[in-house]
Amino acid sequence: MKPTRVLLADDHTLIRAGLRLVVEQQPEFTVVGEAADGRQAVALAESLKPDIVVMDIGMPGLNGIEACRQIRESLPDTQVVMLSMHSDEGYVLRALKAGARAYLLKDSAEADLARAIRAASEGKSFFSPAVGKVLLEDYMRKLQRTGAEDSYDLLTPREREILQLVAEGQSSKEIAGLLHLSVYTVETHRARLMQKLNLRGVPELILYAVRKGIVS
Amino acid sequence: METTPGKSNPIPPRDPSLPSHRVRWVLVGAFLGLLGLIFVAGVAATRTLAEMHRQEQAARRALAERAQTLSGLYLSIQVYNESIQRYVGYPSAKSDPQVRQQLDRLTADIGSRLTRYPGNRQPEEAALLQAVLDLFDRHRDLYQSARALGAGAPQGRLIGDQVITMRAEILDRSGQLSAWNGRQLQSADESLLAEFSRLRASLTGSLSIALAAGLLLVLVSMGYILRLERQTRGRYRELAESRHELERLSSSLVDAQEAERRAISRELHDEVGQSLGALLVDLGRLSTSLPDDRAEIRERLERMKSVAERTVGTVRDIALLLRPSMLDDLGLAAALEWQGREVSRRSEMEVAVQAENVPDDLPDEYKICVYRLVQEALHNAVRHSQARNARVRVSTSGSGIAIEVSDDGHGFHPERSRGLGILGMEERVKRLGGTLHIRSAPGQGAVLRAELPLPVSAGAPA
Repeated sequence: MKPTRVLLADDHTLIRAGLRLVVEQQPEFTVVGEAADGRQAVALAESLKPDIVVMDIGMPGLNGIEACRQIRESLPDTQVVMLSMHSDEGYVLRALKAGARAYLLKDSAEADLARAIRAASEGKSFFSPAVGKVLLEDYMRKLQRTGAEDSYDLLTPREREILQLVAEGQSSKEIAGLLHLSVYTVETHRARLMQKLNLRGVPELILYAVRKGIVS
Repeated sequence: METTPGKSNPIPPRDPSLPSHRVRWVLVGAFLGLLGLIFVAGVAATRTLAEMHRQEQAARRALAERAQTLSGLYLSIQVYNESIQRYVGYPSAKSDPQVRQQLDRLTADIGSRLTRYPGNRQPEEAALLQAVLDLFDRHRDLYQSARALGAGAPQGRLIGDQVITMRAEILDRSGQLSAWNGRQLQSADESLLAEFSRLRASLTGSLSIALAAGLLLVLVSMGYILRLERQTRGRYRELAESRHELERLSSSLVDAQEAERRAISRELHDEVGQSLGALLVDLGRLSTSLPDDRAEIRERLERMKSVAERTVGTVRDIALLLRPSMLDDLGLAAALEWQGREVSRRSEMEVAVQAENVPDDLPDEYKICVYRLVQEALHNAVRHSQARNARVRVSTSGSGIAIEVSDDGHGFHPERSRGLGILGMEERVKRLGGTLHIRSAPGQGAVLRAELPLPVSAGAPA
C-alpha cells in the first residue's frame, strides 16, 4: 500500500520536530515536507500535493484557517488536520468552514494525531475528545440558562442516523447506499433535520454533531 | 513642543492677580471722579442760568419802574403845562378855585414824586431827571408869577408864549426819555449776553475737561482689557497645550500598554508555551515507548504530563488575557464571540454576541479598542452588577462602528461611579475620535454605547 504523504505546518521548530516523530512512528505515514508559516504551507502543498496537511491554526503572516481555505480550494483531494490550542466553537466552526476534516487540540496531538490523520485520509471527520466536551458544556449551559429546549429531541431516529453519517463525512449517495434509501429521500431527511436544528450548512451540522458527541 | 519650564511661559513671573486688583480700583475711582466732574459742572451751569434769569428779571423790573416814573413825571408836567396855559389864557378860569386847586395839587404831587425817585442814578438818567427838575421849576415859577399878576394883565400873553415853548421842550424831552429807555434795555440785554457767553465758556471748559478725562479713562481701560485678554489667551493656550499633552501621554500610555501586553503574550506563547508543548510530546512518546512492565514509571510520567498540561493551560489563559490571539487568527467578530462564551463559561452571566457584519479588515487599533471595550464592560457587569444576561452588539454603518453592551444587573449611577475601567474605555474611544455613553440607574441594568468613526479606508494597514 502506498504510504500516506503528510505535510507539517507549524511556526515552531520544536513542535514540528515532535509532530514529525509522532507521524513517522506510523509505518503507513511519511512526512514529505515542513512549512514554518501559512504562505509556505500553501506553496509547499501546491508543489508536493500531499494527502494530508497538519496545520497549526495560529501562524504569522497567513494564519492556518486562511491557508487551509486556499489549499482546499486548489487541491480538493488534500485533507487538512487542524491543530489548535483552543477548543472554542469559534475556532472549530471556522476551521470546518475553511474545509478542515479534523480538529485536534495541541495538548492531545501526540495521542490523537495518528487517528486523526487516518480518519482524514479516509475522508472522515475527527475531533479531539476534549473539543466535543467543551462544545457540549457550552451548549448545555446555554440551554439551561436561557431555558430553551434541546432541539435534538425533535429529531426522528432516521434523521438522527442521517445526521451522524453526514457529520462523519459521508455523501448523500453513500448514505443512500448504506441505508437502502433513495438519494432523494436522504436529501429530504437531511434538509428537514437541518431546519429543525436551525443549521446553515455542513460545517454547522458537523459542529452540532461534535457538540452532541455524535462524532468524535 | 518644548517642555522646559519658565522659558516657554509668556506670562511675566510676578503674580498677575495683585496689580489687576489695584488697576480695577483705580479705574473705578476714575470713573466715579469723571461722573462727579460732569455732575458738578451740570449743577453749576443750572445754578448760573437760574441766577442769570433772576438778575435779568430784576434789572428789567427796576428799569421799567424808573422809566415809568420818569415818563409819568413828564406826563404830569405836560398836564401841568396845559393847566397853566388854560389858567393864563382864560381869565375866568384864573379865578376858578377848582383850577387853582388842581394846579396846587399837581405842584405838590410832582414835587413829592421827584423826591421819591431812587438815589443811585446813572449820569444820563440824572441829566434827564435834572431836565425834568428844571422844567418843573420853570413851570412853578411861571405859575407863581401868573398868580401874582392877577387877571387880565398884558404879561398874560407873554406867559402863554412861554408855556407853548416849554411844551415843545417837554415833547423833546419825552423823545430823549424813550431813547434812553431803549438804550437801557439794550445795555441790559448786552450784559446778559456777556454773562451767557461767560457761562458757555465755563461749560465748554468743564465739558472739555470731562471729555479729555473720559478719553483718557477709555484708553486706560482699553489697555487694561487688552492686557487681560492677552493674559487669558495665554492661559487658554497653555491649558489647551497641557490638555493636548495629557491626551497624547495617555494615548501613548494605551499604546505602550497594548504593545507590552502583546510582547509578553507572544513571549509566553512562543517560548514558554512551545517549550511546554514539546515537553508534553516527549513525555507522551516516552510513556508509549516504555515496556509494559514499568507501570510505576508510566504512572509518574502521567503525573508529570498532567502538571505540564495544567501549566500549558495557565500560560495560555494568561497569554490570551494579554493579547487575544483570536483577533489575529479569526478577526474581531469571532474574537468577540469567543469572549462572550469565555465569560459565560467562567461566570454566572450568559452573554449573547451579535457581531456578524463587522468587517474583517479593520485596522488593528480599532479591533483592539472594540475588543477591550467589550471585555471591560462584560468584566464590570460580572463583577459589580450581578447580571444574569448580557448582550453585545457590534454593527457597522457607512461611516462608523457602533458597540453596545447591555446587561440586566442592578445598575449604578454613571456619574458617581466612574472607575478606572470606565476612564480607560473613554480614553481608548476618544483616541479614535469616538464617543462613549453609559446609561444606567440603580435597579435598571446598564447600557454602554460607543461609536467609532471608521478610518477613511477601512482596508488600511491592519
